[in-house]
Amino acid sequence: MSAGVAAFLGGARSRLLPASVTLRFFAAAALFHLLAWLALAAGAAQWLSFGGGLGWPLAALHLVTLGVLGMTALGAGAQLLPVATLQPAPGWRLLGSLWWLYTAGVLALAWGMGMARPPWVAVGGSAVAIALFAWGVLMLRNLRGARGMPGVVAHGWAALAALVLVLASAASLAGTWLGWPVPGRALALGVHLVFAPYGFMALLVLGLSFILVPMFALSDAPAERDQLVSCGFAVLALTLGGLAAIGIAPGLLWLAALAAGAIAVAVHLRLMRTALRTGLRRELRRSFALVKIGWAGLVASLALALALVLEVPLPRLQSWFGVALIVGWLLSFLLGMLQRILPFLAALHAGGTGRRAPTPSSLTHERALAVHFGCHLAALAGLALALLADSVVLATAAALIGAAGAAAFCWFTATVLRRLHGSRA
Amino acid sequence: MTHSTQVSRMLDDEHRSNIAVLGQVEQMIARETRYDPGSAKLLGQLVRLLEHDVQRHFTFEEEQLFPRMTENGDGGMALLLQEEHDAIREVSAELLPLAQRAAAGDIDQQAWSALRPLAKELIERQVAHIQKETMALLPLLDDILDDDADRELAFAYTAT
Repeated sequence: MSAGVAAFLGGARSRLLPASVTLRFFAAAALFHLLAWLALAAGAAQWLSFGGGLGWPLAALHLVTLGVLGMTALGAGAQLLPVATLQPAPGWRLLGSLWWLYTAGVLALAWGMGMARPPWVAVGGSAVAIALFAWGVLMLRNLRGARGMPGVVAHGWAALAALVLVLASAASLAGTWLGWPVPGRALALGVHLVFAPYGFMALLVLGLSFILVPMFALSDAPAERDQLVSCGFAVLALTLGGLAAIGIAPGLLWLAALAAGAIAVAVHLRLMRTALRTGLRRELRRSFALVKIGWAGLVASLALALALVLEVPLPRLQSWFGVALIVGWLLSFLLGMLQRILPFLAALHAGGTGRRAPTPSSLTHERALAVHFGCHLAALAGLALALLADSVVLATAAALIGAAGAAAFCWFTATVLRRLHGSRA
Repeated sequence: MTHSTQVSRMLDDEHRSNIAVLGQVEQMIARETRYDPGSAKLLGQLVRLLEHDVQRHFTFEEEQLFPRMTENGDGGMALLLQEEHDAIREVSAELLPLAQRAAAGDIDQQAWSALRPLAKELIERQVAHIQKETMALLPLLDDILDDDADRELAFAYTAT
C-alpha cells in the first residue's frame, strides 16, 4: 500500500481548499458541458464536414476541452495534487481569481469562435492562457516540494511540460486568425492536437487515476515502479508525436509514437484492472461504467489515430477520431469521476461540525445521474450514427440529447451544492 | 492485500468479513421493499456485527491505535476516523432495535420501512470507513508497530 495514499486520506481534510473554491470549478464544468452540446447542435451541419476553422463546431470543441475538461482539471489538480505531494494547498484567493479569469476567457473564446470574431478569440484566448499559465506556476511550486506519490508527481510534471507547448501552439494559432504573420500554422496545429488532449489532459487524468481508482475501489495503489513505467512510455509517445507533428520523419515517428502510447495505455489499464479486480468494493455502479467507456474510448482513439497515420480510406476518419477521443474517452471518464468526486468532497466539507455528517449518497441525485447516463450514451451513439449516415438531423438530435443529459448533470450538481449548503446551515 | 503485522492482518480479515455481510444486506434491502422472513438469518448476522464486532473493533482502535497514530503525527487521520466511529455508533443505535426485531421475525411494515434507510446509511458509512482504514490505517500500523507491540496488541485484541 502506498504511504502516499495513506497520507492523502489522512491529510484530506486539512488540505481541503474552501468548498466555494473547488466546487465552483466543478459547477462551471457542468454548465460548460451544457453549452458545449448546445454549440454542437447549433453547428451540427458544419460539424459533419468540419476540417478546422472558426465556427460552432470549433466553439463546441473548446467548450468541452477548456470549459469541461480544463475546468475540472484545474479544480481537481489544485485539490488533489497537494494531498499527493504532501504540500500545502495553493492560495485559495488566487485560485478563486483565476476561476473568474478562466471562465470569462472560455466564454469569450467560445463566442468568438462560434461567431467567427477573431478579436473575441484573441481576448478570450489570452485570458485563458494567462489563467492556465498562473495555475501552472502554482502547480509547479507544489510539485517542486513533492514528498509523496512519485508516480502521480511524474505525471504532474509531464502534464505541466505539455501545458507549456499547448499554450505556445495556441498563441500561434490565435495569431493566424488575427492575421498576424505567424509562421508554421500547420506545425502549431499538429503540436496543439497532440499535446492538448494526450499531453496536458491525458497525463493529468492518468496520474490522478492512481489516487482515485484505488480509493473508490478500496484496493492497493499500483506499484510506483509500474506507474512510472506507464508515465515514461506516455512521455516517450508524446515526444515522438511532437517531433512527427513538426515534420521530423513523420512516417516513422507517428508509428513509433503510437506504439509507445499503446504500451503506456496497456500498462495503465492493466494497473487499473488489477485495482478494480482486487478491490474490496466491486460494485461501483454507473460512475465506473462511464469510466470504463472512457477507457474504451482511449483505446479506440489510438486505433483511429493509427488509421489516420496509415491513411486508411475511411470517410470522416478525423471526425471519428475526435468523437472517440473527446466524447468517448475524456468526457465519459471525467463525468464518471466527477459524479463520485463531487458528493465525496461535499461530504468531507460537511464533516467536522460535531453533528453526524451527511453521507455522499445523501448529497447526490441518483435520478438525475441516471438521466445523464442514458443521454450520454444515446448522444455518443447518435454522433456515430450521424457520421455513418452523413445526417445533419441525426447529428442535431444527438447534440440535443447530449444537452438534455448535460442539463440533468447540472441538476445533479445543483442538488449536491444545495444539500451541502443545507447541511452546514 | 498483504500486511506485515498481526494486528493489521486481523483487522483486515474483520473488514473483509464485514464487507461481505454488508454487501449481502445491501442487496437484500434494495430488493425487499416488504419484510421477508427468509432474510432473518442474514439480519441475525447484521445484529451480531452491530452488537459485537463493531463495538469491539472500534473500542480497540480508539484505545490502542488512534493514540499511537496521534503520537506518530497522524492526529488528523485519527480524528477523522474517530468522527466516523461516532457517526456509525449513532446509526447503529437507531438501527439495532429494528434489526433485532427483524431477525426475530417480529417486525411490521412501518418498522421495516424505517429499517431500510438506516441500514443503507450504516452500510455506506461502514464501507467508506473501512475504505479509509484499509488505505490509511492498516499500512500505517505496518510502519509504526514493532514486533513486541504488535504481539502484545494482537494478544490483547484476541482476548477481548
